[in-house]
Amino acid sequence: MRALLVIIALGFSMAIMVSIPAGIVANQEAAQSVTANFNSTMTTMQEEINKTATLIECQTSRGVFPGGQLGFPPGGSQQQQTYVEESVANEIRSISGVKDVVEFITVSSSETTSETINGPGGRTFTILRPVYTITGVTLNSSFIDDYSILPTNITAGENLHEGDSGVVLLSSNLTDYFGVGVGDNVEMYGESFTVVGVYDAAGQGSISQSNMEERSAYMNITDVQTAAALTGNVSRLDVYAEDVSDVDSIAEVISAAYTSLQVTTYKDRLSQLDNMQTMYSETLTSAQATVSATETVATQEIMMAVVATSLIVLFVMLYTVRERTKEIGTLKAIGFSNWNVMSQFMLEGMLLSLIAGVVGIAIGTVGAPLLSGILLPQISPFGSRGNSQFQPGAANPGNFGNFGILGVSTVTVTVSLQTMLIAIGAAVLLGALGSLYPAWRAATTRPAEAMRYE
Amino acid sequence: MSEAILKTEKLFKTYEMGKRKVPALYDLNFQVNKGEFVAIMGPSGSGKTTLLNVLGCLDKPTSGKMILDEIDVTDLPERQLYKIRRDKIGFIFQTFNLLPYLNAAENVELPMEYGKRSRSERRKEARRLLDLVGLAGRGEHRPQRLSAGEQQRVAIARSLANDPAIILADEPTGNLDAQNKSEIVKLLGNLNIERGTTIVMVTHDGHVAMHSERVLLLKDGKITKEKQGLHLAKKKLACPYCGSKIQPTDERCPACRKKLVAAEEEESI
Repeated sequence: MRALLVIIALGFSMAIMVSIPAGIVANQEAAQSVTANFNSTMTTMQEEINKTATLIECQTSRGVFPGGQLGFPPGGSQQQQTYVEESVANEIRSISGVKDVVEFITVSSSETTSETINGPGGRTFTILRPVYTITGVTLNSSFIDDYSILPTNITAGENLHEGDSGVVLLSSNLTDYFGVGVGDNVEMYGESFTVVGVYDAAGQGSISQSNMEERSAYMNITDVQTAAALTGNVSRLDVYAEDVSDVDSIAEVISAAYTSLQVTTYKDRLSQLDNMQTMYSETLTSAQATVSATETVATQEIMMAVVATSLIVLFVMLYTVRERTKEIGTLKAIGFSNWNVMSQFMLEGMLLSLIAGVVGIAIGTVGAPLLSGILLPQISPFGSRGNSQFQPGAANPGNFGNFGILGVSTVTVTVSLQTMLIAIGAAVLLGALGSLYPAWRAATTRPAEAMRYE
Repeated sequence: MSEAILKTEKLFKTYEMGKRKVPALYDLNFQVNKGEFVAIMGPSGSGKTTLLNVLGCLDKPTSGKMILDEIDVTDLPERQLYKIRRDKIGFIFQTFNLLPYLNAAENVELPMEYGKRSRSERRKEARRLLDLVGLAGRGEHRPQRLSAGEQQRVAIARSLANDPAIILADEPTGNLDAQNKSEIVKLLGNLNIERGTTIVMVTHDGHVAMHSERVLLLKDGKITKEKQGLHLAKKKLACPYCGSKIQPTDERCPACRKKLVAAEEEESI
């Protein structure tokens, strides 16, 4: 019974020693995976920006939906989507150096749906967003081919083509919402459209924020203008310059002439990327500080566990030696040498902590996530979910406005075989250390006195 | 005279109680011969246990000399003394002192643990010794499953394990009932006769002491008297007065007892 209690107490001590290194390793791995994730995303984004270097994006002020800013759910100051006359597009086309102008219009349904998203630090938010957003696109085959203005990941049916009218390309979650498939009709803005294709909603288009899937539809721009009674209006113009060197001058002309348009060029997008990088490196610095703080705490805790283990063994063995003084006397009387007696007790102490080590590993393996959660500061500076991937917008290539790229999945703590073997070794060593003094006490007991002891 | 196995010369042992010096053994000069069965008798506090501890090399005398099996053990350091205890001395205790977590055979094997014998030889020897003390087939039993008398038999078997030059028994019958007491004393007597084992037994029980050959009376650390024991076994169950055959438990033959009773009656009149 007493041995059992001792083994459990020792076992917990050992469990701490086992689970802490596992926790540290898990945290380090999490940090590494985040870094790798970030780096690959940055590379992709850089490539995308280079590809679209000639693009000047001109956007009217849009509703907060469906974007929202990083880490903060939309809400509060809801803006109204505004539009500009189509004639603006023609005027811009006449600016020298402009190659093409692609017109877009975005309208959102008046009905809303509430959605729960995960924010940073494990918080969740409930937001209201339109049931669907329709993007009207100038369906010109050269635009479609050259500027990837439509979603690319078609899962059913086919994409929109030049001259299509009365048809719609739906995101996969909208087909669920409407309960329709390819070839069915769906009613939007009071008009009926035939579904020609479905694209995968996850991480597509401008809404790359991890938690928000697109609830979007793509149509011919004139269909949208007619249905929404916005004939002659557009909400976004993608202006393509003949050459990268013209981009700055064209952007200047546009922003001077049309104050209602927000003009962004690859330089703005690069600076956005820089901001992200800065933000990320700040986050990483704080994460590294957490990791090193974790290691400090862990070192202290392991030291404490080591001391506790040795002390437990020490006291238990001292008690045992005292309790068995008479036995020690007997052993000496029948011819055991000091060394014989000492090794007996050392062996016993080592065996005790060996068993405790095994128990500790069992506790540690099962309870490592819990124990390291209690014992170590957690690294969770990266917020949100693990599997979010930034996918450069196909339909809206210029907009990097929202990114949920820094997701980290929950830290999984596992005890490695190596840690187990080290723990077993440490157990035996600490057992030897803790029983050294008691065993020495036993060995040097004077037999005549030991025999008198009751 | 026969060969001395144990010899003490001017043996003193003094305990220091603060400033006071308490003599426990005072100028002891005696000798135990090979094959002898000696009892040391005395009231409690007479120094019996101290003497046995000194004889057993568990304690050092304050002064004097002690020779055991032709070795002067007086000034031997601990790193050699344990070998003397292991190879030359067999201990029997009042409280048996068996290790409770070992069975009878393992207890008997214990003194041989660090000796030269191989494991199988040790096991064989333990079985042989258990047979000798009348515990054949009980080797697997733990001490708590044995009676007090049986436990002491195991202890006696253990004391014989390394074929020691001398057996030191400290009140071997002190924790036993009358029946077991006489059986243990008989066993010791038989070992003395059949194996020629030299035995020094400390006791305060006169009846038990009288089963030995020679009784030393100890008082205040000094040997005050020495007398002949009866050692019934050695006298081959003969009446010490007339030499006729007697029962092992009796001290004299029925005829002599009658005479004794008659004489006592006469005295009382």
